[in-house]
Amino acid sequence: MQTKDLLKSLTFALVGSALCASVATAQSYPSKDIKIIVPFAPGGAVDVTSRIIAEYANKHLDKVKIVVENRAGGDGVVGQTFAARAKPDGYTMLAMTSSVVTNPVLKETQYKIEDFEAVAMYTDDPEVLIVPTDSPFKTVADFIAEAKKRPISVTIAGIATSHHLAGLALEDSAGIKFNYLPTKGFGPQLQAVMGNHVESALWSFGEGKKHVDAKSVRLLAVASDKRLEGFPDVPTWKEAGLNIPRWTTFRGWAVPKGSPKEAVAFLANLLEKVNKDEGYIARMTEYGYPVSYRDAAGYTEVVNDYADLAGRVIKKHNLKEQ
Amino acid sequence: MEAVLSGFEILMRPEVLAFLLVGIVAGLVVGSIPGLNDNIAFAIFIPFSFSMAPTFALALMVGLYCSTAIGGSIPAIMVKVPGTASAIMTTIDGNAMAQKGMPGKAIGIAITSSVVGGFASSLVLVFLAPPLAKFALRFGYVENFALGLLGLASVVGLLGGNIFKGLIAAAVGLLVATVGLSLETGFPRFTFGVANLYEGVPFLPLLVGLFGVTAVLELSEEWVRERRAGRRAEALPRITDRLILDYAMVKRLIPTWISCSAIGNIIGVIPGAGMLMAIFLGYERTSRVYKRKYEGRPGEPKWGEGAPEGIAAPEAANNAVVASSMVPLLSLGIPGNSVSALFIAALMIHGMMPGPLLFIEHSDIAWMIILAFVLANLVMGPIALGLVKTLTGMVYRLSKELLIPTIGLLCLSGAYSDENAIFSIWVALIAGVVGYAFRKMSIPHAPIILALVLGRQIEDNFSNSLIMSQGDWLVFVDPVNHPISLALVAGAAFFMLGPVFSWIRQWVRKRMARGAAEVPAGS
Repeated sequence: MQTKDLLKSLTFALVGSALCASVATAQSYPSKDIKIIVPFAPGGAVDVTSRIIAEYANKHLDKVKIVVENRAGGDGVVGQTFAARAKPDGYTMLAMTSSVVTNPVLKETQYKIEDFEAVAMYTDDPEVLIVPTDSPFKTVADFIAEAKKRPISVTIAGIATSHHLAGLALEDSAGIKFNYLPTKGFGPQLQAVMGNHVESALWSFGEGKKHVDAKSVRLLAVASDKRLEGFPDVPTWKEAGLNIPRWTTFRGWAVPKGSPKEAVAFLANLLEKVNKDEGYIARMTEYGYPVSYRDAAGYTEVVNDYADLAGRVIKKHNLKEQ
Repeated sequence: MEAVLSGFEILMRPEVLAFLLVGIVAGLVVGSIPGLNDNIAFAIFIPFSFSMAPTFALALMVGLYCSTAIGGSIPAIMVKVPGTASAIMTTIDGNAMAQKGMPGKAIGIAITSSVVGGFASSLVLVFLAPPLAKFALRFGYVENFALGLLGLASVVGLLGGNIFKGLIAAAVGLLVATVGLSLETGFPRFTFGVANLYEGVPFLPLLVGLFGVTAVLELSEEWVRERRAGRRAEALPRITDRLILDYAMVKRLIPTWISCSAIGNIIGVIPGAGMLMAIFLGYERTSRVYKRKYEGRPGEPKWGEGAPEGIAAPEAANNAVVASSMVPLLSLGIPGNSVSALFIAALMIHGMMPGPLLFIEHSDIAWMIILAFVLANLVMGPIALGLVKTLTGMVYRLSKELLIPTIGLLCLSGAYSDENAIFSIWVALIAGVVGYAFRKMSIPHAPIILALVLGRQIEDNFSNSLIMSQGDWLVFVDPVNHPISLALVAGAAFFMLGPVFSWIRQWVRKRMARGAAEVPAGS
């Protein structure tokens, strides 16, 4: 009995890693389970969206399934490197996000962005400018006017994160000044805004949507092409005079370079099917992740645009490690 | 009120209750196995909860969260290996009491204190959540720095005579905390190009190493020594005495329970403060009271050698953090600590976001969670008392020859499962060897952990506070805008200067005594 209980807890501990074990056979693609490497811990935005997609994608697959595997660490670098080095057989994908672009530039990584091939994009999460609910800044114009006079404090996830880069880009394009307060974790950032310890925040729309709904924080402007559904009164950054057409955190699938063509096409097609599922759309919207499908070419364009924009900011502000 | 009732109705469904009980039992088991803790268990469980009804998943998580700390105290008392980080201080007096032939009493105190602390904190969650959440919001960068300082200062009080070695330990902890991407510059520090270190030295493997692997090495050493001496390995303590506390003991522990539950609840409500801080502050305070009130009396052991308060204080404090850490989470959406942060993940997976909206959109679920905490704390006492003999029997019936490699293996697989990385195993092994070396030099472990936890928090909040104040250091003691910070800094100064005052007092007394003797000869 005792050994049985012990064994049980051991299995419990190991079951996560055992999930990925599968049998390889050389049949038509896919002949075994396909892994999505999520380079972050379970429960985060990338993990949650990946699991939702896997759930809906598996409805279209028989015998094989999409399996999510977390390889957290190094702000994404550990999992990204793992995926870059995986066998390019179409059975290992990376949940590719913006940090794949910036990590190789800002950190010493053993992979390059060119090591990946885009499959398709599923969501595009715009950056938002947030202020406390009772902030004196009623409009973006108020905000810009004050930020031209003195630096306004803004909480961001960390220096050299995409949010910091967005802030620097805003400084350049709107002639305003920020005082950056790097704060690790979304919870502490939320605390700083809700407790009026900081005057503004730059974060992704998805993470904060529910808090905007709850009126815990106020949404001033959003960095998407057009106004967001459900927020008709919130201007885009461009409309508001911040002069940046879009700044988004993209999420999509990528495979290591050299993966078979038919596998890439199969996966892109699968994601497209999921993207048309009503239930899927409702669930993603509920979480605050705007559904936006782009095929491999469209996704590559988004990635390249971001690499270009972020690259310029990094260079101009000399963020790169010397 | 309607929401409360429908929350209660959900909780009373047989399946939900069953999951809560499974969670409690699982928490006791996971906690009592060194190397596994609630964080690891949740991280593994969350992907599974995806396909579960949210009420089931949440009930299970509440049960697990409440009872892991109790489980953690069992190996701490029986073999001096804390099952979870929350039992780190319990090892000292708990194991000492067990060695004196009273393991049942020690475990009884641990369980009862946990239940008292946990129940107090679930009541705080039920009745005081909204006002306390407002209080928690007053903690900004400045206050969080001061709070970290207070936590670090509590180390001084724990060290007794061993200030120098304690400071070495704290310094090591702070140094390790500097590894990783610097939030202020965005550049990695001391990572030597190893990507696994970008987010800092992985914390869970480090803990597992310092506690578990160190203990394995110590147990092996003991075993070798016994073999060399030609003795058969000494049997591990068996519970033969009563687990239920007598009236006199309950009466005696009440003041400790009240003060440590209060400390645990306050710390629990403040986001980011963490369970360890509550344990240290509670332990520190209780040690001072104990030394004044009991030490030196006939029949009373010295502090650290089996004092009942030395078990009651950390165990009441750690469980008092549990439900109260849900206050900012449920009412504001801000997690109180790393485990309650995982509740966000579990809720989000089912399309719910903790915060004010939860009480509007899913008020029944919100109340189900709150009531589950109350219920879990009510039933976990009897369950723990009933299971403890089985649990200890299960793990410790093994001979030392088997126990040592079993604990070792469990520790390493626990470390691995944190990030699914071999790297974590190396971290655990190195931390274990270093921890063992420190034990040999009698450098205490507790300050390392506390400094590790608080180092980053202190640094980040310090630099952000100065950015806000444009470099003005007085911001931390500003009585108008940051009164909380001023009070915390004053508390920290009191802790840190305490030993200095007592040195001065002793020195003066000695001087006076010697002076009195020397006066006639000298002048």
